[in-house]
Formats: sequence, C-alpha cells, structure tokens
Amino acid sequence: MPRIKKKGQAGAAKNYVTRNQAIRKLQISLPDFRKLCIWKGIYPREPRSKKKVSKSATSSTTFYYAKDIQYLLHEPLLQKFRDQKALEKKISKALGRGDVGDAARLEKNAARPEKTGKPRYTLDHVIKERYPTFIDALRDLDDCLSMLFLFANLPSTSSVPAKMIDRCSRLCLEFQHYLISSRSLTKSFLSIKGIYYQANIKGVDVLWLVPYKFNQRVVGDVDFRIMGTFVEFYMTLLGFVNFKLYTSLGLKYPPKFDQVMDENAAELGAFTLEGLTIAGTENGKQIEPSTHKPDPKVQAEVDKVLKQIGNGEANDGEDTTAQDEAAEEEKAAGELDKFEVAAKGGDVLPQPEASDSSKRSLFANTTFFLSRETPRQPLELLLKAFGCKRVGWDAVLGDGAYTTNELDPSITHQIVDRPPIQAAAEASEDAEDNQTSQKLAANRRVPGRVYVQPQWVWDSINDGEIKEPHLYAPGTSLPPHLSPFVKSVNGAYDPTMPLEEQEPELEKLQAGSDDEEGEDELADDMDVAGSDDEDEESDDAFGGFSADEEEDEEDEDASEDDRQAELEAELAGGAVNSKSGDKKTKAKEDARKALAKKSREEAEDLERAKGMLSKKKRKLFEQMQYTNNKKSAEDEKLRAKRRKLEKEKQRKAKA
Amino acid sequence: MISKTPGKKRKEPVESVESDDELAGAPLDGVLSDADDGSSLAAEDVSEGFDSEEIDNDEHSSDAESVSSISSFQRHADYKVTTDANGNERYEYADVNPVYDSDDSDAQEQPNTIGDIPLSFYDSYPHIGYDINGKKIMRPATGDALDALLDTIEIPKGWTGLTDPQTGKPLNLSQSELELLRRLQMAEVPEEGFDPYPDMVPYFTGVEEKMPLSSAPEPKRRFLPSKHEAKRIAKLVRAIKDGKILPYKPPEERDREQNQEEETHYDIWANEEAQEPHVMHIAAPKLAPPGYDLSYNPPPEYLPTGDEKKAWQQTDPEEREKEYLPAQYDALRKVPGYGEFVKERFERCLDLYLAPRIRKNRLNIDPNSLLPKLPRPEELKPFPTLCQTIFKGHEGRVRTAAFSPDGEWIASGGDDGTVRVWSLNGHQEWSARLSPDESVNIVRWRPNKDAFILAAAAGEDLFLAVPPLVNDATEKASRDVLDAGFGHAAHNATTDGNNVIKKDTPAKWSRPGTKLEEKGVLLKLTVRSAIKMLSWHRRGDFICSVSPRGQRSSVAIHTVSKHLSQIPFRRLPGLAQAAHFHPSRPYFFVATQRVIRCYDLQRQELVKAIQPGARWISGFDVHPGGDNLIVGSYDRRLLWHDLDLSSRPFKTMRFHSQAIRAVKYHKSLPLFADASDDGSLQIFHGRIVSDLMESATIVPVKMLKGHKVTSNLGVMDVDWHPRHPWCLSAGADGTLRLWA
Repeated sequence: MPRIKKKGQAGAAKNYVTRNQAIRKLQISLPDFRKLCIWKGIYPREPRSKKKVSKSATSSTTFYYAKDIQYLLHEPLLQKFRDQKALEKKISKALGRGDVGDAARLEKNAARPEKTGKPRYTLDHVIKERYPTFIDALRDLDDCLSMLFLFANLPSTSSVPAKMIDRCSRLCLEFQHYLISSRSLTKSFLSIKGIYYQANIKGVDVLWLVPYKFNQRVVGDVDFRIMGTFVEFYMTLLGFVNFKLYTSLGLKYPPKFDQVMDENAAELGAFTLEGLTIAGTENGKQIEPSTHKPDPKVQAEVDKVLKQIGNGEANDGEDTTAQDEAAEEEKAAGELDKFEVAAKGGDVLPQPEASDSSKRSLFANTTFFLSRETPRQPLELLLKAFGCKRVGWDAVLGDGAYTTNELDPSITHQIVDRPPIQAAAEASEDAEDNQTSQKLAANRRVPGRVYVQPQWVWDSINDGEIKEPHLYAPGTSLPPHLSPFVKSVNGAYDPTMPLEEQEPELEKLQAGSDDEEGEDELADDMDVAGSDDEDEESDDAFGGFSADEEEDEEDEDASEDDRQAELEAELAGGAVNSKSGDKKTKAKEDARKALAKKSREEAEDLERAKGMLSKKKRKLFEQMQYTNNKKSAEDEKLRAKRRKLEKEKQRKAKA
Repeated sequence: MISKTPGKKRKEPVESVESDDELAGAPLDGVLSDADDGSSLAAEDVSEGFDSEEIDNDEHSSDAESVSSISSFQRHADYKVTTDANGNERYEYADVNPVYDSDDSDAQEQPNTIGDIPLSFYDSYPHIGYDINGKKIMRPATGDALDALLDTIEIPKGWTGLTDPQTGKPLNLSQSELELLRRLQMAEVPEEGFDPYPDMVPYFTGVEEKMPLSSAPEPKRRFLPSKHEAKRIAKLVRAIKDGKILPYKPPEERDREQNQEEETHYDIWANEEAQEPHVMHIAAPKLAPPGYDLSYNPPPEYLPTGDEKKAWQQTDPEEREKEYLPAQYDALRKVPGYGEFVKERFERCLDLYLAPRIRKNRLNIDPNSLLPKLPRPEELKPFPTLCQTIFKGHEGRVRTAAFSPDGEWIASGGDDGTVRVWSLNGHQEWSARLSPDESVNIVRWRPNKDAFILAAAAGEDLFLAVPPLVNDATEKASRDVLDAGFGHAAHNATTDGNNVIKKDTPAKWSRPGTKLEEKGVLLKLTVRSAIKMLSWHRRGDFICSVSPRGQRSSVAIHTVSKHLSQIPFRRLPGLAQAAHFHPSRPYFFVATQRVIRCYDLQRQELVKAIQPGARWISGFDVHPGGDNLIVGSYDRRLLWHDLDLSSRPFKTMRFHSQAIRAVKYHKSLPLFADASDDGSLQIFHGRIVSDLMESATIVPVKMLKGHKVTSNLGVMDVDWHPRHPWCLSAGADGTLRLWA
C-alpha cells in the first residue's frame, strides 16, 4: 500500500502562498514587500480552488504564486532594502543618543554612496528582467505614459516632490519629440476625461490618456506612496524606452535642454534634438530648428524660402509630367496588391494598409496660428506630429512659437475657440488689449485664412483627411466628435450610419405606426402646445417594448376571435364584414401581424431546441443570451432616442 | 481474667501507678520503684523472648495484685472500674478539677474537640462533639417558637443571625468587632485613627544663606578669551586656507550630481533575447479604449435623459455601471477638468499590483451554434395541431379517457362516477353510473377487435362492460368472453372449495347487479384497495390492476377467462405506481416511485431494473417495439429510456412547468405525448431506427394548449387513436378534447 498522502503537502496547496507567509519568508516589512511587488510586477493569483489552497477558514486571503516569491528571495533589491533599514536604524539610534553630528555623517554617507557602503538602488536590472525585449516594454507602455503625463501635470506637494514632477514632464516632452520626429502618432480623441492619444511604435499600438491642463482634484483616499512607487519604476522605464527610440532614429539622447526657454514655458521648444555624434565631430548636426527667434533677418530668410516654395508650386507646371511619371513608377513599385477572394469559402485576411505617409503629413504645407483660448500643448503636438512645421501662437501661451504675430501673412489656418460676438466687436474695437501682443481686434478676420475650431484638427487626423472647414467654423454648432477607437461590430448600433440601415423590421414598422399616430395627433390638435404631444410620444417610445408584447397577445386573441367570427359568419351564410379601414394601415397591420407571428414561431422553435440541450449547455446558452440581450437592449434604446431626435428635427424643419 | 489480658494492657495500671506515685508523697517510692522496675523489665524481656506464659503470668499476677492493692489503698475515689461493651474492665476517671491557680483557669468554656469536620455530621445526635475530657457536649437548647419570636422582637446586642460553627450557639459580635470587619471589607487600614499620609516634617530647611561661603575674588581668566580655542580656530583656518578641509558642496549641486547619475541611460535592450513568458504569467489586461459616449461632443442619442441622470446620481458610486455621465459641451474651451482623474489612475495602480489575476476562457461564439439542429416540425407531419372536438358532459374532473381498439369510440370516466362512451363527433352514446360516491379512476378497452369490452375501475371495484353499441355478433362474442369464466370459477370452487375458504382471495368476481347488467356492465371484481391503473395484456385475457395503497396486493393480475386473480409479488419496495405488459414478450413492467422493474413472467425472475432518476414516477408507457420506455414524473420530467442502452435515461426533457400526469406512445406512428398539470399536452416525434448504431431521434413538435387549470390540475390523461395521428386528452375542467 502506498503512503497515505497528507493534505496540503502537494499540488495546489504548495503552489500558492498567502501574503503573510510571503512576507515572513522574505523577512521584510509590508511596505517594502509592496514596493518589491510593484517593481517586479508580481501580482496575486486566484487559485482555481481556494479551498484546496487555503489552510484558514477566511475566504479573503490573497495568494501569491510560490515560485514568484521564491524568485524574490534572490532579488538584489531585497538586500538594498535591508541595508537601508539598517542605516535608518543607525541614524535613529544616533538621534536618540542626541548625537546629531553622527546622524548627519551617516546621512551624508548615504548621499555619497560610492564612497561608503551604498544603500542606493537602480531599477535597471528589473526593467531588463521584466521586459526582455523592447517590444515587451512597448506593450506595457499604456499605463506608464498615462501615469507620467498625469504626474507631469500635478502640483508639487510633500508626497509628490517637485523633482519628480520635473522629471516626469521632461520624459514626457522627450517622448513627444520622438512622436513628432517619427510621425508615429495615429489617432487622438477628445473625451470628457482628457485627451486620448494612440501611437503606433514599431508595430505596437500604444494608447494613453492625458488630462486637460487643470489643477487636478485629489479626492478620496489616494495613497501617493503607492503611485510614487509606480512612477519611480515608470520613469526609469520611459528613460530607457526614450533612449532606445531616439537612438533608433539616429538622435542623441538626452536631447539638449534649454533651461531658460523651459522657464518661459516653451515646453516642447526647450529641447533641441541632435544627431548622434560620430567619433571626432564636435557639433551634432541640428536636425530641426524647433525654436524660432523673432529675429528680423531670419524672418526675412524664412519668408524668402516660403515664397520660393510658393513659386515652385506655381512654376513647376512643366515639371509636373516628369514628376508624375516618376511618381507613377514609384507607385507601381510600392503599390500594394489587393488580394481579393476569388472563390467562396476562403477566410478573409486583414490586408496591409496603404502606406499612410500621406496621412502622416496631413498638415505638411500649412502654417497654423493658435488663438490664446485654445489648448496649446495638444494642438502643437498633433499638428507637428502630422507634418506641420510652422505652428505659431499667441505670446501668452508661452515661448517657442513659430510666430506670435497674428497678422503674419504666412499663416494659412487659425484655430479659434471663441464665440463670434457681433455687437461687442464694434464696441471693443478701440479697446486696448494689453494681454495679447498682436493688435487685431477680437472678431476681426484676416482674409484668405481658414478659421476653424479645435475639433477640426482631431476629426481631420482621425479620418485621415482634411475636413471641410466650414463645418467647423467659429460659432457653428459642431458635428459630433466620434471616438476613433470603437470597432464596429455587426449588429451593434453605429452612430455614423443612417438609422434606417440598422433598425430591424419590427422596430421600423413600429416606428412607422408611431409616426402616423404622431401625425394624427398633430392633425387633430394643432392648437395644443407641443409639450403635451411630446410627452405622449415619449411615453409611447419608452413603453414600446412592453406594449408590443401586449399587442402580440392581443393579436393572438384577436386573430382567433376573428377566425371564429368568420366561421360563424360562413355558417350563417352571410358575407364576412371586414373592418373597414385604410388600405395602407391594413397592409401595415398585416405586415406587423406577420412579423409577430414569425417572431412567435421563432421563439417556439428556440424553446423546443433549448429543451433538447443538456443542463450545462442550457445554462451557458442562457448566460450568453443574457449578455447579448443586454447589449441589444442598449442599442435599441439608442436607436429609439435617435428616432425621436430625428423626428423632432423634421418637425422643426416643417415648422 | 488475667489469662486473657494481653501484654499491652498490662502496662496501663503500671503507668497509672507511677503517675499516682508522683502525685502522692515520697515514702514508698524507693521500694516500689525497685520492685516495679525489675518486674516490668522481666515482663518485657519475657514477652519479647519466648512464651513462657506460666511464669510470666504468675509474676504478673503477683505484681498486679500488689499494685492494685497499693493503688486502691492510695486513691480510691479517683476512678471507677466498669465493664465496657466487650465485657472488659474499663476505668472511668473523674473529671480533672483544676485548682485555682492552674494555667487552665482562664479557659472560659470547654472547647469542642471534634476537629475540622462539619457540624452537620452530628445533626442526628443530641450532642455536637466532645470536650477535652471526652464528655459529650450537648446541643444547646434551641428556643421554642415563642423564644424565637421573642428573639426576633428584641434583637440582643451584637446579634448577627449566624451560628458559631465551633459551639453551635448564635454568634454575637461586639460593635468594635463589626467595625473592624467593615474596615477590612472596605480595604481600609484596620486600626482606627491611623494616618497613612502624615504631613511632612521639615527636618532640613531651604533657608538661603545671605553671605558667601568663600570670599575669594573672581579669577582673571574668566574675563579673557581662551588661548586654547584661539589656537584650534587658527589651525582650522590654516587647514581651510591650505585646502585641507573642503566646505560642503551646496545641496543644489549635490542634487544635480545625483540627477545626472540617475539619468545615465544606455541601450538596455542592446542584445535582447526573446524569452517565452512564464507559463503561469498573466499579463495585466489593458484598459478598454474610450467609446462614443465618452466624447466631449457625443452624438445626442448618447446623452442621458433626465430620468437616467437622476437614476445615475441616486445609485451608489460603487454600483454604477459607468463611472461617468456622458455630457456635451459645444466648445472645447468649456470642457472642465475631470475630477476623478487621479482617483481612477490610483485605482488602476491598485488593480495592477493588488488584484488577483485569473485566466478565464471566454467563449466568443454565437449562442445559436449551441442549439441542436432540429428538423422542422412541418417535415415531421402528421401530428395533432388543433382541437377538433370538445366532449362535454362529465360533472367534475374527467380522470381518464381511452380510444376503442377500432378507433370508433371513446370511453371516459370521471369524478361523477360514470363511464361514458362517445362517438368521435362529440356525441355521447352510452353511459353508466358505476358507483354513487367513488370516482372512476381509469377506463381501458380490451385491445382485441373480436370483442368489445371496456374495463373501468371505480374505487376498489373493477367493472367489465360490453356497451351495446356494436353489432350483435360482436356483442355476443364479448358476452361469451366475460361469461366463460363463471363455469370455470364454479368448477374451481367445487374442486378446491376448502382452499378458497382457507385463503383470503385477492379478488372477488361477481355480477354487479341487475341495474348495471341491463346497461351492459356484466362483471364486477372487487379487490382490497382502490385501483388507480389498469393495463390489458395484448391478447386480452389478462388485465392487471394497480392499487398503490394495496400494500402486498397492490399489483394484481386477473385472468378473465377463468375469473381468477393472482398477486405476483409478495412484497414490493415502495408504492406501486403503474404496471404494463410487454407488447410482445412475456415480460411485465412495474413502476414504483423511483424504479421501474421488468420481470419475466415465465421464469419468474427480475430481468432489469430501470432507474429514471425521477423523484416520483407518475406513469410510463412501453413502446410498441418493446425496447423503449417513456416515463413521466411528478417532478416535471419526461424521460426516454432505451432498454438496450442503459438503465439511465437516454434523454431527459423538461418543458412543463408543472407535474406530468400521463404519457403515451402512439401504436403505429412515431409519436408520443405527455399530459401535464399546467394544462398543456406536448407532442413529440420519436423515431426509432432499427439500426443498432443509431440512437432514436426525439424532436418536440407541438404544444397543445386548451385545457383550463382547475385547482392546480390540468390534463389528467392522454390517449392516441390506434391508426390516425389523433390525440385525446381528459381535462380536470370536465371536458375531453380530441386533437387532430
């Protein structure tokens, strides 16, 4: 007979340890353990059967994978933690003795770790360990970027030191510079939470959220120590990622940083990108003169260059044919062949997209000017990342603009986000505006320039084409701003498609009948105020579903009654006197009845088929149906709302 | 007396003599002591040595005599010699009378000597112990009722109500003793007037001295700068000047150094090597990308209505489906900061390091792909779909219904105690009231076409009737079948009459009485308890009846041709619910509450036990092929059994919301039906393929609704037309319905 196996000696019970067990094994305090877990990316697991794993009766224990904890035992950081603890103990002991000098010496030594025993640490090896390849690091960049962008916008407090904020904002700006020079930004979205950006870096989609430039409200119990631990790791990570990204572009990292410009809120403009210094050359070649000094000479030169460009465009009529040919050849070489499904039955593979260089240089030949009420940072990033070389803005928005002169003739587009005030415009014409440097009155327009609202930039980027500017002109009500991240699922509600294409037949019929009712009502009482009408209608719309069901039942009864009546009538020998009614309404009624019958039959079929399933499969089926129904109910609600809105719009148009 | 006295006892008088000597004067002392010493020594020697009693005794007796004579001479009144219980002599001494100046004089009373034992041991005695002299201390007289009353009226000084355990007298305490007790109880110092905190007596005063102790003048060095210190400072200055001591770097510089050190970046992925992530590694799930409703300017249909907004605000923040409320701003400059931004980021951080991760397989398939592909009901026609005829006439519930074997007639029985026969157009052709108070539980036609016999059970009686609806030849044949047994029974009775008398017969065969006989009810059979089920053998000679309460005789098989009843089972495990004959082989199926057993009647052995897994079987039916069973149960299940396959059900169907009452196979078509308490019948298509490899296809085809549910009962019985796909149901609402 084999030996009797004891409980908790093998299998799942050995694979997991509780948090307390882990702490006891590592012999560190709970905060240190937390730090270690955050940096090393160790997380609790949910064992398949808690009962088998846990030795205690409490169900709320967190379990870690035992191997994870075992690996932690060899972590160099662990020793660093212990050294730090020993040092702290020494200092506190010295202070307790009243030996301030000794304590100061100890602390000083801690700050000069290379000369004394050093309890300082770096997280380099952790990053290498967690992300063995660069792609792995890019995959995990979402949270990193969101976190660092948030911290770059936080006010400095005792828990968030200014140094940390400074470093975060610096790393973020460096990353933005990479995005601009590599043109890897793909999409952006203005949400109520902040601005979402998506970039495609080396084939990996990275999505992050940047808050609007407001003072962040800290609500509830937010523990900045935990966030600080994360930020510490993320800062190291983004530093290395930036290094790799810069070197991959042939740029030197870190880029040259101009302290003075930074203090003047130049932000992106405070950095100067340099090419990698090849051995011997002293000066890195300046890739991009991102700072523009309002020097008259330079200005003139730039203007000349611009003029040349303009002339070139005008003059190269004769060159066009040659260029076109070359372009065509290029096209033929670089053109993507489209794989079309020739015979049925094959799977459809995702096709490579056409090279989106055109999309990436969307604003290549434009010069933008940002009015002072527009958010400068996101617009600057987006415009530059999509090929715009010249972005100017009002002087109040900070340093580093291409031009701060609103009347600069090279400006082609101006982004404005203020309501047009006609009456006030004349009054304030003479008023001195001491905030802005340019001398243009509030509502004056420079002719030959496109005035748009900021949303135009986002919609153009997301759709990959320059949108019609008149839709986004100042003062007009904007078209809805749609998220570019939603993938359209078959059957789900899509706001971009017309309503008629997506509603099922039953709804369409019902909507039609509702329409008529509404019209009838209108015809009946034109004098009645619209509000009553709307109320009734809204009731109709919301109670639509239940009413429909009831109607079905009624229909059933009615149809049976009808048939009986018909039979009776036949027996009596009389003619069947059908209800006199409009042909149109009758046809509609018939259609609805047919639909109801069909749906009833389908329901019956479903019921029959469901009965033949095993209990397990039936449960699964019902669960799936529940979620599907929930989704479709949401879609239906959206459709109903839209229908109502459209109807109102029509009515208004009529009136 | 002397011979009996043991050596030990001898000593006592000797000793007493000595003691007496002490008390007496000196004159005889020497003589006696000599003599005594010698004698006593000799006596002891002898007694220790060997038994020379003769000598010894002689010596002793002489001694004793001398002593006694002396002692009696000395103090005659000191003790008395009495006889104790054993007949030995016993000395009783007079009380010790202490003289005036004895030490014992201040003992007020004789103390009790019983030691540390409870006084209750003496409860049954008049005394409460013994004094030092061995005298009984009598129990102090307790006062009679009047004394007690008086005691209560005037409480003596120091009265406590307690009894002194030593003396058994009431314990009185003086005032000072009570005070002492009180102090002890209050944890005070027992001594009265003791002050634990007396005022401090200042033995040494802090009086300030006016004059100095020493009149020496202040030394000069107290007014001069220290030369030693100056020397040290000069040394430090020199060291600083020489550059030996560096002042600390300013903290900013130190920080910058630190920063630079931090910012040393290098290509950490210079020689990267792709590693497979650990098998157990679960990457953190990414946050969902924003949807349309998160836009600052969403399409208007995504905006919440007033009600939705209110509902959102009223729900607890933790229970909200979305943590935000969609809002529309007509310009970008109007968008406010998002208040929950930091909190959301923090929660994400918590999720990243604190949330247990588990891998969950989510099925991303169309739920409809799970459903089996059932053939369309239209392809499986014919089956009943509509209610063709409603038969009305029964008062109360119709409990049972059956098609005649030729399919022309319908028999029914109900709570009104009548059996009725109807033609298919709904016209009632014949009826007979079998019992005035019992309901007709079941009717079944004899399966053969050569005779026209209806069996009906009301209470404990089973009636066999020939309704006068068929041609004379058939009727005659039917009557012959029923009457044939009378002769046999009479014959039997004559041959083993004594046997009949001796045994309690399982059933009594008789004529039902002229009134019923005129109607056509020709035979009556009385069993011991109420019959609930009947089932004919295919040849029509045997009929089995099931009466669930009949205990031993719950299942009985009756032979019509011999008027003979048999009880096949001595004992059945559980209550019998139904029984059927196998359609082609000599097998017999009996259903108890949970199990259906199949018996071989010829070999008289159990062939198979089928376990449908239902809690309470209501009824079952055997497929005409004989290899399949359907079982209906009160726990709403309909079960299909393949007898060749397993003892467990092949298919379980649950379509009813209430108990299933009856199940029935069609005789020739691949159909079966069940009747339920929810007022519906369900028709199934069940095709059995002769190929053994292929299992039966069962498809639900129709749900027939029409019967009304009265007092929780819907459809009570169901039967099929022998040839056509017509179905007959008996409802608790007093109607029969024919479905076609």
